[in-house]
Amino acid sequence: MPNSSDAIPLRQFGRHNVRISAIGFGGHHLGDAPDEPAAVRLVRQAVDGGVTFFDNCWEYHRGKTEAWMGAGLEGVRDRVFLMTKVCTHGRDKALALRMLDESLHRLRTDHLDLWQIHGVCFENDPALFIRKGGAAEALEQAKKQGKVRFVGFTGHKDPSIHLKMLATGFPFDSVQMPLNPFDANFHSFEQEVLPELNRRGIAALGMKPICGHGTPVQKGVLTGEEALRYAMSLPVAATITGIDKPEALRQALKVAQGFVPLEPSAMQALRDRCRQYAADGRFELYKLSLQFDNPEARLAHGFPLDMQQVEVREMLRMTENSGHPYPPTQ
Amino acid sequence: MLGATDLAASGQSGAEIPRRPLGRTGLEVSALGIGGYHLGSANSDAEATQIVNEALDAGVNFFDNAWEYHQGLSEERLGRALRGRRDRAVVMTKVCTHGRHRNIAMRQLEESLTRLQTDHLDVWQIHEVIYENDPDLIFAPNGAAEALLEARRQGKVRFLGFTGHKDPSIHLKMLSHNFPFDTVQMPLNCLDATFRSFESNVLPEVNRRGMAALGMKSLGGSGELVSEGAVVVTMGLRYAMSLPVAVTISGIDSLSVLHQNLAVARGFQPFSAVEMQAIRDACRSGASDGHMELFKTTKKYDGDLGREMHGFPSSAELPV
Repeated sequence: MPNSSDAIPLRQFGRHNVRISAIGFGGHHLGDAPDEPAAVRLVRQAVDGGVTFFDNCWEYHRGKTEAWMGAGLEGVRDRVFLMTKVCTHGRDKALALRMLDESLHRLRTDHLDLWQIHGVCFENDPALFIRKGGAAEALEQAKKQGKVRFVGFTGHKDPSIHLKMLATGFPFDSVQMPLNPFDANFHSFEQEVLPELNRRGIAALGMKPICGHGTPVQKGVLTGEEALRYAMSLPVAATITGIDKPEALRQALKVAQGFVPLEPSAMQALRDRCRQYAADGRFELYKLSLQFDNPEARLAHGFPLDMQQVEVREMLRMTENSGHPYPPTQ
Repeated sequence: MLGATDLAASGQSGAEIPRRPLGRTGLEVSALGIGGYHLGSANSDAEATQIVNEALDAGVNFFDNAWEYHQGLSEERLGRALRGRRDRAVVMTKVCTHGRHRNIAMRQLEESLTRLQTDHLDVWQIHEVIYENDPDLIFAPNGAAEALLEARRQGKVRFLGFTGHKDPSIHLKMLSHNFPFDTVQMPLNCLDATFRSFESNVLPEVNRRGMAALGMKSLGGSGELVSEGAVVVTMGLRYAMSLPVAVTISGIDSLSVLHQNLAVARGFQPFSAVEMQAIRDACRSGASDGHMELFKTTKKYDGDLGREMHGFPSSAELPV
């Protein structure tokens, strides 16, 4: 399976003359590392292994993952392409810019390579994003100020919401979405969104290659390696995978170093194997439940909180909710 | 929030609750129906009995239920309450195969009949068609669709239908099989009108086919439309009842709720088209992310049995 080199392939970031590693270090799982030194070691080992793309988000573990990643990237910041996300969830530009400054501070840097709108999951999010005074204006301003190089958005809910975001006409550089062999047959981002991004020259970023928490792997439907290979073989700039411990990093590096995409027949075989489970979405709870919707999003939209969610428990401990409700739209 | 005063001016005390044709079945049903789930939530058997009897006395004749509500308690309560008055009621219950074999459906039918203390159902519906592969499973060989036809042949049920609260596209998939459904139940309320809308996408098709439309979740399932300030009770219920449906099924777990809803139903006058549009427009912003229609956007209203059959975590493992 390895190609002639055992480096992680670098791929072009959309229409820009920038290259990023085919695998991205998922920031959320970093918060599950036992402590900061362990997290710092994971980040360093990933950089040494050839990972150049690092994902994060203002609201992950209430800021902890940004802080840990910032510590891990100390001294190697210039070698990586650093992304984090802003969590306005329909709220206004001023809040977005405040979050940006917090993210930069935690990440110990003066600029982001990529800043994305986080969790575009509700049907009215695109309208709230593009409204006057909405987060779209923050993306533009941050770019102008030189605090961010590129901008994008992410969401895990429904292809139609992604298409609505694209229909706002905002000049996104990247779009992130769940891509895995279950998605291929169910509310499919692969079928409905991915071709559109490639047509527009927008960098496609895949996530949830093993469906978030890896349930189908635990149930024996496919292996983690198979799932990651599938996602990386799609026409994406990078596949973001969660790294919470050395074994996870080792597995990701093993697949990514010297990566050769799967043949179309092998891709189809994986889709076919997963089709039966895809039919009711049982392994894609992020599309059908609130499980992966972060509390900032639920609060802003008036949805009930999930008391079992790590951020909710941390929020209750810290009680530093910054949200104020978005205004009604016409 | 729209006021309760002018737009929501509702029924007249002393007047009759209107009856409407139940599709092409020849039956006539009251515009307000009693929801079975909440009958099981009532504080006592005695209160449940009184709800059913007062409703009958007021002219309500449509009673909803399901095999899985409160592990059978809802059906038992309705059966007890209707003793001696069964013939005055149109009794509906639902079968809960959730994709399984017709034999399970037939077994559930016998249990429902026993609990309901009757030898036949007026309407038997497939419950909770909410997963995208449910239509495929229901119409597969030996699926629930075959059980519906067999039960009708045996004379144990008169009319057939299905229900679900998730997505109009799943209802339309069910209809695309051209099965002779007599009834189709769906959530209908003033927020649904502008969000994943059954009112826009399913209701016209059901009426075009001459089937009876049964509305439910007129206030969001647990009164979310009221507690979140979208509408007052009378207006929300009246909106749902003003749609082209045979009956609006309303969850009633106490006598005070019954009295409140009967007051809307007695001498019911539908809103005008202009008033309906004004309510839809006033609710549009609140409807636009579905946070008051949690049955569409979360797992909150999806039953544990259905989740289990579809490999989803239970409500304890995957809370709202």
